Amino acid sequence: MNIIKSIQIILFIVLGLLVSSFTFLFFKVPPGSGLSTLLYQGFGTIGGIAGTLQMTIPLLIIGVALTVPFTAKFWNIGAQGQFILGEIFATWIGLELVRTLPPFLDMLVAAVFGFIGGAIWAMPPTIMKLYQGANEVITTLMMNFVAVYLLLWLVSGPMEGAQAKLVNAPASAPIPTNYMLPTIPGTTISSGIIIAVIIAIFFYWFLRYTNFGYELKLIGQGENVALYSGVRIKRNVILSMIISGGISGIAGMIMVYGITQTLIPQFFSDVSTSFGYVGIAVAMIASLNPIAVIFASIFLAGILNGAYVMEAIYSVPIDVVISIYGIVMIFSLIGVMIDFEKLFRRRKIK
Amino acid sequence: MNSALIISIITTVLIGMIPRAMPIFAAAIGETVDQAAGTLNLGVEGIMLMGAIIGFVVDYYTHNLVLAFLTAGFIGIAFSAIHGIVSITMKLDQVVSGTALWFIGWGLSGVIYASIFGISSIPPTVLTLKPVYISYLSSIPFFGKFIFGEDPLVYILIVLLIVVQYFLFHTKQGLNLRTVGNDPRVAEVMGVNPILYRYAALLFGGFMAGIAGAYLTLAIVGSFYFDMTAGMGFIAVALVYFGKWNPWRVFAGTLIFGAVYVLYFMMESIYPVIPYEFYQMLPYLVTLVMILIIGAKARAPAALTLPYIKEG
Repeated sequence: MNIIKSIQIILFIVLGLLVSSFTFLFFKVPPGSGLSTLLYQGFGTIGGIAGTLQMTIPLLIIGVALTVPFTAKFWNIGAQGQFILGEIFATWIGLELVRTLPPFLDMLVAAVFGFIGGAIWAMPPTIMKLYQGANEVITTLMMNFVAVYLLLWLVSGPMEGAQAKLVNAPASAPIPTNYMLPTIPGTTISSGIIIAVIIAIFFYWFLRYTNFGYELKLIGQGENVALYSGVRIKRNVILSMIISGGISGIAGMIMVYGITQTLIPQFFSDVSTSFGYVGIAVAMIASLNPIAVIFASIFLAGILNGAYVMEAIYSVPIDVVISIYGIVMIFSLIGVMIDFEKLFRRRKIK
Repeated sequence: MNSALIISIITTVLIGMIPRAMPIFAAAIGETVDQAAGTLNLGVEGIMLMGAIIGFVVDYYTHNLVLAFLTAGFIGIAFSAIHGIVSITMKLDQVVSGTALWFIGWGLSGVIYASIFGISSIPPTVLTLKPVYISYLSSIPFFGKFIFGEDPLVYILIVLLIVVQYFLFHTKQGLNLRTVGNDPRVAEVMGVNPILYRYAALLFGGFMAGIAGAYLTLAIVGSFYFDMTAGMGFIAVALVYFGKWNPWRVFAGTLIFGAVYVLYFMMESIYPVIPYEFYQMLPYLVTLVMILIIGAKARAPAALTLPYIKEG
């Protein structure tokens, strides 16, 4: 990707942001001041930046996880469900083993289980797509809803913590504080952000410099292209979904071990916990480049964080961010896909 | 279970299933035509939410149901036009564009609601559509009430089902439309404009999705709440697959869903031992099972999700 193209994409994202700011007019907030308040609260203050980076963690990991199957044009909309299953598996095993293992090993085991949980949840839609031709957008999304209710049942039933029972707010027992991921010294930000960045860099290398990454790109260019080049489509797609679900599951593990400390229910109407859906926007806006995902996730997390303040100041509901994401997504899609150079060249020939 | 209970369950399901099925059906019939012409619109969920809020607001202020439904339909047209510009004219990815549309509708519907009624207020309500009893037929014992005692939109939608079925499979334009969905190049050779057909189908689908959303607020719930469709738009898309792009089969699929929605409300009270979360999973699990059963045999329009790029 050359520099001109990158600038073009960024320009389109900014344009999308400007267009989306008109939604503030619904609350009689001028678009300009609404947008600047949003960005200032997300990026302009120390507290804002800290909160933004904290929210970046799950978005960044999920965004990276989604670039893998998206590269093969396998549209995994189910990161939300895979994330939830990762949380469930990690919390369950973590609480089971907490007395027998030292903190570091406990976290490691929890991460492995998070991976397994997410990967398991990603499998039914993948198999249905490959062997039945079922549209994966629908099936992965249905798995999300099932996961939401599974989680709700677990935290208000079998996994409900004693403390949560007292206050009647569904949640699991908390992970002991010394078993949590440490915060970065001198800040309130979880060290999960470092893991997230490492994951992003690894997948940048993985998609770019391994055979597997190349084959995924071929699959993304169309089934025939892949078939003629001798790519084993089924094997690669299944592998990409194991990775995608698994990494989303690890995002879930880091969410519990780095941020929430307990397993809490997530409602699909609640945008602030819908990291799996926002992750789709992250991956798309970053045009499936894991390094760009780092910046895209910080950008979207900042908007989300700023929107919390907007909710308090102007009583603009948090939902405003999801429409902003949608509009920015469309603009970035246009920015990524349209080749303006080519358009102009054609005009000249005619 | 005794037989009286079983009969009462069956009657309740039969009475409740048709109105419950209708919002999904309205969205699905539009999506069927849309997909038959080769465009996948995943934004249905977002459009339904927009239709739901716009229909609700218009009815809340004007108390004019016809106006409310039409406005909801037109907001659907406007939204699907965005999808058309991005995916048909610019030929960009339909899945990404549809997902973005879903996000916009999801967020914007909540924004509009909150800007008018506030964030934490008790949801205001409107009167829901009243059933129309077709005088003689509805007095037929047992079946009369739930077949001939529905609200007016149900009758309109059933007429629409027959019209769409006839249009798709028995008219020249219907054949043209399906050709556009299977091979736009052949259509072009036949002297048909694929772009025009795709736009027409897409806008029809958007209109119906808007109506579907408004039906949810104006005929079933009577008020609006955040993300109230809860995946219904996607279930509608799934049912188009289940129905193999045939309106009658799509209709049958939506009736199954109507029954599922009613059943789980009932079973919840009959078997409270099973946690209610599992009942709430039911529509989504049923969707998965239905796709699993039908998947292998379904043959999609060959050019579905492929943009039409003119050669030369």
